Amino acid sequence: MKKETFEIRLIEYLRGTLPANERKELESFLEKDVAARKQLEELAKVWEDFEQLEVPEPSPEMDQGFFQALDAEIIRSNKKRTSGSQWVNELLGRIFKPQLVYGVLILGLGILGGYLLNFGGSEAATPAQTVDTSDTQELREKLVLTLLEQSSANQRLQGVSEANKIVKVDERVINALLKTLNNDPNVNVRLAAIESLSNYVNYPLVRQGIIQSIPNQESPIIQVTLANLMLALEEKGSIESFKKLLEKEELDTTVKKKIESTIASII
Amino acid sequence: MYPLTDDALMLKVKSGDLDKLGLLYERHKKRLFGFFYNMNHDVSISEDLVQNVFVRMLKYRHTYKGEGSFLAWMFSTARNVRYDHYKKNKELYQADLSLLDYKMGDHENALSHLEKKDDMSLLQQGLMRLDEERREVLVLSKLKEMKFSEIAKILGCSEGAAKVKAHRALKELRQIVQKMEIG
Repeated sequence: MKKETFEIRLIEYLRGTLPANERKELESFLEKDVAARKQLEELAKVWEDFEQLEVPEPSPEMDQGFFQALDAEIIRSNKKRTSGSQWVNELLGRIFKPQLVYGVLILGLGILGGYLLNFGGSEAATPAQTVDTSDTQELREKLVLTLLEQSSANQRLQGVSEANKIVKVDERVINALLKTLNNDPNVNVRLAAIESLSNYVNYPLVRQGIIQSIPNQESPIIQVTLANLMLALEEKGSIESFKKLLEKEELDTTVKKKIESTIASII
Repeated sequence: MYPLTDDALMLKVKSGDLDKLGLLYERHKKRLFGFFYNMNHDVSISEDLVQNVFVRMLKYRHTYKGEGSFLAWMFSTARNVRYDHYKKNKELYQADLSLLDYKMGDHENALSHLEKKDDMSLLQQGLMRLDEERREVLVLSKLKEMKFSEIAKILGCSEGAAKVKAHRALKELRQIVQKMEIG
C-alpha cells in the first residue's frame, strides 16, 4: 500500500466509516508494516481523546433569540403576502362574493377615518375624537372577531394582525384569540395568536388561557414557542401544564428536552 | 424518528412554510454549536454564530436547491458566517489573540505537574494552537453523520485531499500535545 493510500484511509478507519473491504486491506497492511501500525496506534489515542472532548450545552437564550427572529420573519412574510397582489385578488373575491358584515365593518371604519381627517382640526375636535376613537375601537374589535371566524387562513392572520392594533382589548377579543390558539388548524395563525396574546400577558385571563392551552398543543413549533414565552415570563403556573404535555407519548424528543429544561429553569 | 428529512423540511421552508425551520434548528443546533465551540472555545460567540447561521438560512432560503446534502449546505453557511464574523471583528480578535498567547504562556508556566497530566485539557489547548484550517478539517471529520465527500465539498477540495488534510492535522495535533507534555 502506498503512503498516500495509507494516509487517505487512516482517518476513515479511525472514524469507523471505512468500507469493509478497504478496512481488511488496511488491517493486513498494518500486520506487515510495524512503523505504520505504531503510527496508527499513536493517532488512535489522540483521535479517541479528541472525540471525547466535552462541549457545553448551549443556553436557553440561544433558542429564545432564534425563535424570536423566526417569529418576526414569519409575521413579516405573512404581512407581505397579504399586502401584495394577493390582497387585490382577495379584495376582488370579496366584491364578487360579498360578506355583508365584513363589508359593512370596513365601510364603517373608512367613514370614521374620513370624518376624523376632514373635521379633525375643528374646535369640537377633542370631544368628537374621544367618541370616535372608542367607536373605531369597537368597530375594530368587531372586525377582529369577524376575521377570526373566516375560512381563509390569510384572513384569520389579518384578524390577529388587527387585534395587535387595539390599544385596550376586551374579554371578547382575548377569548377569540385564545380560541384561535387552541383550535385554529393553521400553525402560522396559531403562532401569530401567541405573538398577539404575548402583548397582554399582564391580564390574568391571558396568562391562564395560554397556560391551559399548553397540554392541547400538538405542533412542536408551538410547543417550543410557548415554552420560550413561559420561560421569558418565568411563569411557575405553567409547570403543571408542561408536565401534562410531557406525558404525551408522541411528543418529539427534542421538544421534550426543551420542555424539561424550561421546567428546570422556571423552578 | 422524524417523518420528514432535512432536505424535505428545507424545501418546505423555501416554499414559504417558515416554521419548519424551527424543526431544523432543534435537530441541528447542538451539532452546529459543537462545531463553533470546538473552533473558538467561546460559548457566547458560538451561540451567536448558531443563530446567525439559521437567520442566514432563512434569508437565503430561495438559494437552496435540494440537490446536495442539507448538512453540507448548512456547514458551508456556518463556515461563511464564521468567516464574516471574524473578518468583521478582525482588529478585536487580533488584540484578543495576543492576549490569549500571553495568557497561555503565563498559564503554562503556572501549570502544576498534576495539571499537565490532564490529557483532555492539554488536547483542548493543543486544538486551539492548531492552524485554523487544520482545526476545521478535524472538527468536521468528527461529525460522522457527514460523508467525507460532503466534508470535501464544504472545504472546496477533493475527497482524497480532505482525508489527507485530516490525517496530517491529527498528526500535528499529536505533536503539539506531545511538546506541551514535555515542556
